Amino acid sequence: MKTDLNSLKNQVKEELKKEGGSLGVYRKYLGPKGEITQILRSLKDLPEKERKEKGKLANEIKNEIEKAVESGKYKTRDAKYKTQDAHFDITVPGKKPSLGHLHPLTLARREVEEIFESMGFSVIGGPEMEKEWYNFDALNIPKDHPARDQWDTFYLKNGLLLRTHTSPVQVRYMEKNNPPLRIIVPGPVFRHEATDISHEFELMQVEGLMVDKTVSVANFKAVIDEFFRRFFKKDVKTRLRQDFFPFTEPSFDVSISCVVCGGKGCPTCKKSGWVELAGAGMVHPNVFKNSGLIPKDWQGWAFGFGLERLVMMKYKINDVRLFRSGDLRFLNQF
Amino acid sequence: MIFSYNWLQSFFAKKLPKPEQLAEVLTLHFAEVEEVRKEKGDYILNIDVRPNRAADCFSHLGIAREIAAILGLKFQIPDYRLKEDKNLKSKDFVSVEIKDKKACPRYTAKVITDIKVGPSPEWLQKRLIVCGLRPINNIVDVVNYVMLETGQPLHTFDGEKLEGEKIIVRFAQNSEKITTLDGDAFTLDPEVLVIADAKNPVAIAGIKGGKTPEISRKTRIVVIESANFNPRVIRRGSKKINLKTDASVRFEHGLDPNMTEIAINRSAYLMEKIAQGKIAQGLVDVYPQKVFPKIVKLDLNYIERLLGIKIPEKEVKNILERLGFKIKTKKGKFLNIEIPTRRLDVSLSEDLIEDIGRIYGYKKIGAVYPISALIPPRRNLDIFWEDAAKNALKEAGFNEVYNYSFFGEKEAKLFDFTKKGLIEVENPLSNEQKYLRISLIPNLLKNVEKNLRQFPDIKIFELGKVFKSPNTEKRMLAGLLVGDNFYQLKGVVDSLLNSLGISSIWYDDYQAGPEETKLSVWHPQKSAEIKINGEEIGFLGEISHHILSGLTIPAKVVLFDIDFEKLNKSVSEEQEYRPISKFPSAIRDIAVLVPRQIRVEEVLNKIEEGGGTLIRDVDLFDMYEGAGLPEDRKNLAFHIIFQAENRTLSSEEIDKIQQKIIKTLEKNPGWQVRK
Repeated sequence: MKTDLNSLKNQVKEELKKEGGSLGVYRKYLGPKGEITQILRSLKDLPEKERKEKGKLANEIKNEIEKAVESGKYKTRDAKYKTQDAHFDITVPGKKPSLGHLHPLTLARREVEEIFESMGFSVIGGPEMEKEWYNFDALNIPKDHPARDQWDTFYLKNGLLLRTHTSPVQVRYMEKNNPPLRIIVPGPVFRHEATDISHEFELMQVEGLMVDKTVSVANFKAVIDEFFRRFFKKDVKTRLRQDFFPFTEPSFDVSISCVVCGGKGCPTCKKSGWVELAGAGMVHPNVFKNSGLIPKDWQGWAFGFGLERLVMMKYKINDVRLFRSGDLRFLNQF
Repeated sequence: MIFSYNWLQSFFAKKLPKPEQLAEVLTLHFAEVEEVRKEKGDYILNIDVRPNRAADCFSHLGIAREIAAILGLKFQIPDYRLKEDKNLKSKDFVSVEIKDKKACPRYTAKVITDIKVGPSPEWLQKRLIVCGLRPINNIVDVVNYVMLETGQPLHTFDGEKLEGEKIIVRFAQNSEKITTLDGDAFTLDPEVLVIADAKNPVAIAGIKGGKTPEISRKTRIVVIESANFNPRVIRRGSKKINLKTDASVRFEHGLDPNMTEIAINRSAYLMEKIAQGKIAQGLVDVYPQKVFPKIVKLDLNYIERLLGIKIPEKEVKNILERLGFKIKTKKGKFLNIEIPTRRLDVSLSEDLIEDIGRIYGYKKIGAVYPISALIPPRRNLDIFWEDAAKNALKEAGFNEVYNYSFFGEKEAKLFDFTKKGLIEVENPLSNEQKYLRISLIPNLLKNVEKNLRQFPDIKIFELGKVFKSPNTEKRMLAGLLVGDNFYQLKGVVDSLLNSLGISSIWYDDYQAGPEETKLSVWHPQKSAEIKINGEEIGFLGEISHHILSGLTIPAKVVLFDIDFEKLNKSVSEEQEYRPISKFPSAIRDIAVLVPRQIRVEEVLNKIEEGGGTLIRDVDLFDMYEGAGLPEDRKNLAFHIIFQAENRTLSSEEIDKIQQKIIKTLEKNPGWQVRK
């Protein structure tokens, strides 16, 4: 037995010399059915003395093989890696997974919704084909009045029109919901006008409305300030100037300090330091009346802005027509 | 509207701020000054006077009054004390009759005799030219000048050419004709108001004068008209005959009837000075319902409640008075304020508060957060699911596009939409926007047409509204990818719907309607109906050759088109975790050769029938037909995953099920499992 083991040891040494610590050698002796494995397994049936002797020898062989396999493994692996990796080029461009892109108006709209929702505003929708009543009359813009010329309108052969602003939703919402209320209404609006780099006939507008017992211009200023600061992530300033909309009194145009030059004056703000971004005002008593509310019971403000214009400011986009161009060279950048 | 700086200055004894500074002050407190430009020794201010202030501020006098109020300056109304000739009476030269007093609330006429028609003096010509008007003669120029000064349009007739020495204000008769001062002939109808003499129309009321009684070199007697017309009547008339003039623009915004008198006297004064005329005594004035100043009650506390800033009472009163409002009485915190009739825009206390606010300066209003009940915003599920769907498609590598809500005649014809309830635009911008879109597909395919040269692998989608006659609008979700990729897009639809919590998805053969077959959008075989719980919610398929060649797209396109309103009803946020089995699963492959017409669905059903409940899942991993196989056969290869909930399956057990599956499959004629 002992001699058997000794000759086995020699045999192993020979093989290790020839092949190094290969997997083949390992399997042959130390695999589940390997010779050494079997010997080690059979030890428990032997008398103690023999078991010790044989055990020692068998373990020696086992250690030797393991050592060889271990060192051999690293040797070959290192060698292999060294030669292979010598010319590894980390400057080869990475392979990008093909990702999709959301439209910049979707991204901006989500941001607007998030900011206003955090201030307690619900997001509401409304029809894009609208009745003349909601788009004009209910908003205190009577028929045959030149104030209607402020909104160039697409009329439809089914007797409806394409809403020229999201303001009709003010009335639609107040008809069904009692104040206090805080809503924003994002959605497409349509203007019957020729297009150029700053004019579009289909635009995304965001309407806002807050109605309560005492809601003031000062409150509007605080909310709109907060919105612009968060949207542009800059400490922008807001300026209100008198304007005229039939459905608000007083009415304002809302400008912010130019986000490009910080208010110093540049081509974007036509050197004025201010950029007009929104129209706003205190809800006109006639609008409350037309919505079925008693004007003296409520006060509120409303505003509206074009989302395209905000996005153009934010990303410095120079042509409003890009938004609906379907041009992937544009869309892939967002 | 264009204003002359020098003219504005003429109302003030004190020097006004420089044009640029004046423009800034006006912009901050009145209306935006869009342009300041030097012109002929003067400056032009182009002021965007808002329509509510047209009545009093489409005039130099109105702007001067605003400047005075903002800067706290004194201004003087120009002098027009008349020297009337006691031997002449206006009413002896002309009589006035108004047929419809709603259409014409006031008509004032005055007569000047012995005038000498000739060119106007230079100072007057200069002011007209700066404001963009062409000088004609001293009579016409005077009334144009007074219009620019007061805002009241006036007109002049040769008193000897008015038949019957009569002026009648009436609506035109059907097909009545008139030739205007510019020589243009108009055929009128009863919607258009005219000024007529005893026989014929001599002017289109409030819009344009007629040729017949025109002022000429020979004119000796001038009848001046200064009238007030119903703004709606003038607007309708001006639209009807498609003629807009300086006069019609002013009238259609509405004017103060009390101004006719001021303007006519000012004109008479100037004609006497410039054309050496004699002013006949008195006015011919038809003014059946005199307009008196309104009284508006103003709650001083309401100013603070609405603006959110406290303005001292003294300041409030001062501003109101500077603007020409009269404080009649004061009771506690309430003021009764008399509104000058020129301020057609003021009838509510809110209107007064606007004036107080802007003159005081909106800039002084600070930002104060509102105090309000803590009502949380409502969750908008429509938007939530829109966002979820968009995110899912983005993750699948799709780009979102926004297209116009319109398409043109060409698309309507190509897609055979003409009889399917298209909504037509009454006044389209161009032929390309003649209809509202009834489907998202045409514009999406046009995106492909446009981008294909730069991007061979286009994957795009859009979520937007489509419109159908008579008046429905609904959201659709459509997406496409370029290439022969039906199954890839089908997978995208599956994972899109899964991400919206929908699992019972089914695809049926697309059933083209009988009239559709020829012009269908879809490839007749490679298209399917998408169904959820048995209800069709949209379509998936390859776009037909007919459409692609019509749009010149040289590639195959597969597209899905889903009714998002229907989809919205099936979505669910609920999801339940399924415990991971403690027992291992085992995978076996099976390949089966079947006749080509056999569908994968049928084979899957047979596998599940044979395998029973221990099959966890079956995946098709290869489908092959072609070289190496008999012509009419295809090879389908599946991974079958076996797993039990309560034990480890032994390989003998799995072999047994596998055998049963094979048997079930091979029961079908022509099916052969490859071993």
